[in-house]
Amino acid sequence: MATAPSDYVFQDEFTADSTYETGEAVSLWKDAWRRLTSNYFALFGLAVIVLLLLVAIVSQFWTPYPTWKQGIGPTYGGPSAAHPFGLDQVGRDILSRLMGGAAIALAVGLGTALLSSIIGIALGLLAGFYRGWVDTVISLLINVWYGIPDLLVVMLFVVIINSRELKWIIVAISITAWLNMARLVRGQTLALREREFVEAARSIGTRDVGLLTRHILPNALGPIIVQATYLIPAAILFEAFLSFLGLGAPPPEPSWGAMCAEGYKSLQLAAHVTLVPAFALAITLIALNAFGDGLRDALDPRMRR
Amino acid sequence: MAPLLQVEDLKTYFHLRDGVVKAVDGITFHVDKGETVGIVGESGSGKSITSLSIMRLVPEPGRIVHGRILFGADGQPKDVVKMTDEEIRDFRGSDVSMIFQDPMTSLNPVLKVGFQVREAMSAHDRFSDEQSKARVVPLLKKVRIPGAADRTKAYPHQFSGGMRQRVMIAMGLSNEPSLLIADEPTTALDVTVQAQILELLRDLNREMGTAIILITHNLAVVASLCTRVVVMYAGRIVEEGYTRDIFKNPQHPYTWSLLRSMPRLDAARHSKLLTISGLPPDMSNPPPGCKFHPRCRFRVDRCLEEEPPLGEVGPNQYARCWVLMQNALVTQPEKAAAAEVPIPPLSAEPAQIDQRPDPDRPGAVKA
Repeated sequence: MATAPSDYVFQDEFTADSTYETGEAVSLWKDAWRRLTSNYFALFGLAVIVLLLLVAIVSQFWTPYPTWKQGIGPTYGGPSAAHPFGLDQVGRDILSRLMGGAAIALAVGLGTALLSSIIGIALGLLAGFYRGWVDTVISLLINVWYGIPDLLVVMLFVVIINSRELKWIIVAISITAWLNMARLVRGQTLALREREFVEAARSIGTRDVGLLTRHILPNALGPIIVQATYLIPAAILFEAFLSFLGLGAPPPEPSWGAMCAEGYKSLQLAAHVTLVPAFALAITLIALNAFGDGLRDALDPRMRR
Repeated sequence: MAPLLQVEDLKTYFHLRDGVVKAVDGITFHVDKGETVGIVGESGSGKSITSLSIMRLVPEPGRIVHGRILFGADGQPKDVVKMTDEEIRDFRGSDVSMIFQDPMTSLNPVLKVGFQVREAMSAHDRFSDEQSKARVVPLLKKVRIPGAADRTKAYPHQFSGGMRQRVMIAMGLSNEPSLLIADEPTTALDVTVQAQILELLRDLNREMGTAIILITHNLAVVASLCTRVVVMYAGRIVEEGYTRDIFKNPQHPYTWSLLRSMPRLDAARHSKLLTISGLPPDMSNPPPGCKFHPRCRFRVDRCLEEEPPLGEVGPNQYARCWVLMQNALVTQPEKAAAAEVPIPPLSAEPAQIDQRPDPDRPGAVKA
């Protein structure tokens, strides 16, 4: 639960005139951080994310075995000291592939969150700030886009681009994932542009760019960050799903989704081939969602005292 | 000398689905250089829309449909209504600044106070970046924020309401505008802080020569700060003149009633406070004739049919009322008697009807 910030003294005119201290600048962010760190579920999420990041970075320089190398040990070999998570259908080390998969998952998750946030924020700000025909056009685009199945868009994109490189997968998922962000930012902007401080900034001659970047965007940042945090697990799941269908990163890239797809045919024979990446995926998604929830609670204005 | 600001026959209408709301309906007034003018009226009288019109910040769906807002005392006044978007942007904050009613919500909560004051200057070219940076602390000192140097790094929520209003004033004055519009600057503050802010505005007016338009519904605030008053009712000016004349000798029944409805320390013991019965008119469907007639205890038949012009009722005092005019002859004595209150004294001299705009009126801009 939230703790009330207790360590700042409210300054009134009277005390301010006699003796007064500047005090620590208790910003919104410090307040949110305190709330976040008192939420154990969110902290668990954060810990997993940090671990995942470390593993992903390490995997770029070192894995126990090369992720692509086949026939390292017996096909469908079970867990052993040399291969803690066993071996897959062509005798590749699953631990090594899992580590490589973490890098792919994070790249897709973070890349998509970043790219789709940029698209969504830009369009949302424009629609909410200028309203009128700009808003009509952007809102129409969002609504029409909503009606088209994401999978169809991504499949078409992959076919048209004719490449399954990771960066194109990220672009493909991003062009389907910005809709909610755009709607959120548009709504925030519509509300914020009527706020008195925006009116006051306008009344001292602040340009539109300044109003958008210094007054509206920073005040909408809380919900935007939360929304972006939810975009990460959604994108990871989408990529895994694409790989499962054989549309994601091409083999021998160790995408968790592809690993599941390759293993599920032999589920009765060697369950670990599927279960290990599936479990990694599940833990990652739970951790990211837990962190997102914690962040939302920490930044939600209604939770603020 | 030409006035700093000359508003001529300004009409700001709101075109709504069920009709046109004439929020500001043909007002004319001026503000001289370094002068303090109060615009008084109750909620919905159009006083805030007047100030927003001057800044061209009228909210949708309101529009300035008629009139001129001439600004500049240097002989070549510019018409605010005709300015381009970039001209009006540069005009706001550098020529005219505005401070708002609620200081609690007028500062951006996520930006440090010093930065916000600096931003007000960086929006214009009057000061270089270094100059702007160097001016922040002196400005905050000027509006008497204690520990100004340290406070620049604080966030708005660490300031009290009065201190925030001071920051707003510092921002408003940062580009040394020649006119400051204060829209109910003290309404959201408690009475002691209110007095401090008014004193600050008065001092700044004297020291920097900044003209002030004070928008308020509080007559005491006007009395303490303004040299001239414009009284608005239902989008019209009903009385205008010097503060001391109007407070001593209010002419329009509305002004008269307003002043009588204020408790005074020097009033006779147990004397009753006057109330103005009824409500302000529904602006989408205003009454015919004089807009005040449904609530007026002095009304005559003519008030119901024809709107009176703004006539000179004393030296430099103007009011919009038939009863005050010599040729509004057809009075109904029984109606006035039924009101059981004396008709406000007419000025000693027989009032001359002086329909404005009059080119010979002091302060008028010659076309």
